[in-house]
Amino acid sequence: MAGKSLFQQVNDYAHRANPYPLYAEMRKTPVLGDEDGNYAVSSYRLITELLHDPRLSSDIRARPPDDPKQQAVAQSSISPAFIRTDPPEHDRLRRMLTRQFGPPHTVGMIDNMRGDLEKYVNGLLDRMQDRKQIDIVDDYAYPFPVDVICKLLGIPPEDEKRFHGWAEDIAFSLDPAIGEEGRKLIAKGLVARNELGQYMRALIDVHRKQPGNDMLSRLITDSSADGRLTEEELVSSSVTLLIAGHETTVNLITNGTLTLLRNPDVFERLRHEPDLIIPLVEETLRFEPPVQFNSQRTALADITIDGVTIPKGAPVYLMIAAGNRDPVRFNEPDRFIPDREDNQHLGFGSGIHYCFGAPLARVEVQIALNALARRLINPRLVVDPPPYRQSAVLRGPRHLLVDVDGIKP
Amino acid sequence: MRVLVDLNRCQGYAQCCFLAPESFKLVGEEALMYDSGPDDALKEKIERAAASCPVQAIMVEYMNGHADEMVKSGTSEAEARHGA
Repeated sequence: MAGKSLFQQVNDYAHRANPYPLYAEMRKTPVLGDEDGNYAVSSYRLITELLHDPRLSSDIRARPPDDPKQQAVAQSSISPAFIRTDPPEHDRLRRMLTRQFGPPHTVGMIDNMRGDLEKYVNGLLDRMQDRKQIDIVDDYAYPFPVDVICKLLGIPPEDEKRFHGWAEDIAFSLDPAIGEEGRKLIAKGLVARNELGQYMRALIDVHRKQPGNDMLSRLITDSSADGRLTEEELVSSSVTLLIAGHETTVNLITNGTLTLLRNPDVFERLRHEPDLIIPLVEETLRFEPPVQFNSQRTALADITIDGVTIPKGAPVYLMIAAGNRDPVRFNEPDRFIPDREDNQHLGFGSGIHYCFGAPLARVEVQIALNALARRLINPRLVVDPPPYRQSAVLRGPRHLLVDVDGIKP
Repeated sequence: MRVLVDLNRCQGYAQCCFLAPESFKLVGEEALMYDSGPDDALKEKIERAAASCPVQAIMVEYMNGHADEMVKSGTSEAEARHGA
């Protein structure tokens, strides 16, 4: 058997700490097919083009019947969520969800959360004040967005113990199904999704009987020109919002902290210049994106792009993290430049599936990183590179140990 | 301060409306209305909004008493590159 393809190597856990040289290699063949029939697209220009191409579907049901992900969707007791659908179904669902999240129907909700979020992260740091070592993941980057999304949706935060394992299994199942190991991840993800769906169904029932002011209650009771969300749509949407609402943000906060620790001059600058956080978070999204590539897209027709024909039904992987470091688009792409100009990164995607939670993620990460800069005294990275989580798509450290001389009040 | 949005670039992602709702408003699904001369007190929010624009269509200029200093422009370099 031939050696591993570049795409297989990207997915190989051995390369998790630093996949960037592989992405650079990949960009030499910006549309790269491999023997498994996977197509990886890695230049900024082509990724952007395909993110706006209606021939590229987000619906796994467009894949052939023997595709493991297609089989998992067919066996799932929950319908595909809005991020896994195409127009017009997608647009209708996204519109209905957006009504309870942002403009034009809900104005100012995210911006108004800032005060509470600042209080929450500072509370986390207050409770660590006598510590000399903290794990940024377990002590900070994980509990924060979990609490935020739970309160926003109306999920009891103490239920985290119940959904933690399911959320992780579902997140890991986003990776491409490569080999026996890949198929096992998909199977585990399917079980977890059905169980989390069941949990959510019960919760929706409670909120339906006694609606509160949370987003879940508002989604249940809302009706608009698009009608009402069905029970099935409520279950799949809330499962997705819960998972997307924290699995990705954890990685963005941790990747940002790691990058700051590796660039102590930038960390120091942020201490004196808190406004730097605004472009700095954008640069983190470019430099270490929490979603490294889109793994759920499928060609609806033969797509010829840059002389290569991607056949109908083929899985197409848009390598966001590779495009974000494309030297044709970004000057000095491998340098972390916190106030980079013209930073039109793909960290939140582009086009109709642009990250639904982007405004919330930006606010959370700006607040989380600024609080660390302001309060940690002499923070030092303990292990570099840190141990990584399994996922290639949702890539981020599993732990990030930091030694500190103290934590300022 | 002065704000200018290139409405030919704007695609209605509405990120600015989330982050600086006082200055940027969505009318209907994707038409943007904005305040071109916002109060200086909104500086931070406007900067957050400008940085978050997925197509970098928002320009912010500061008048600091002496001359108009152009501080941020998201469009020029990108256009030069795409045009190249």
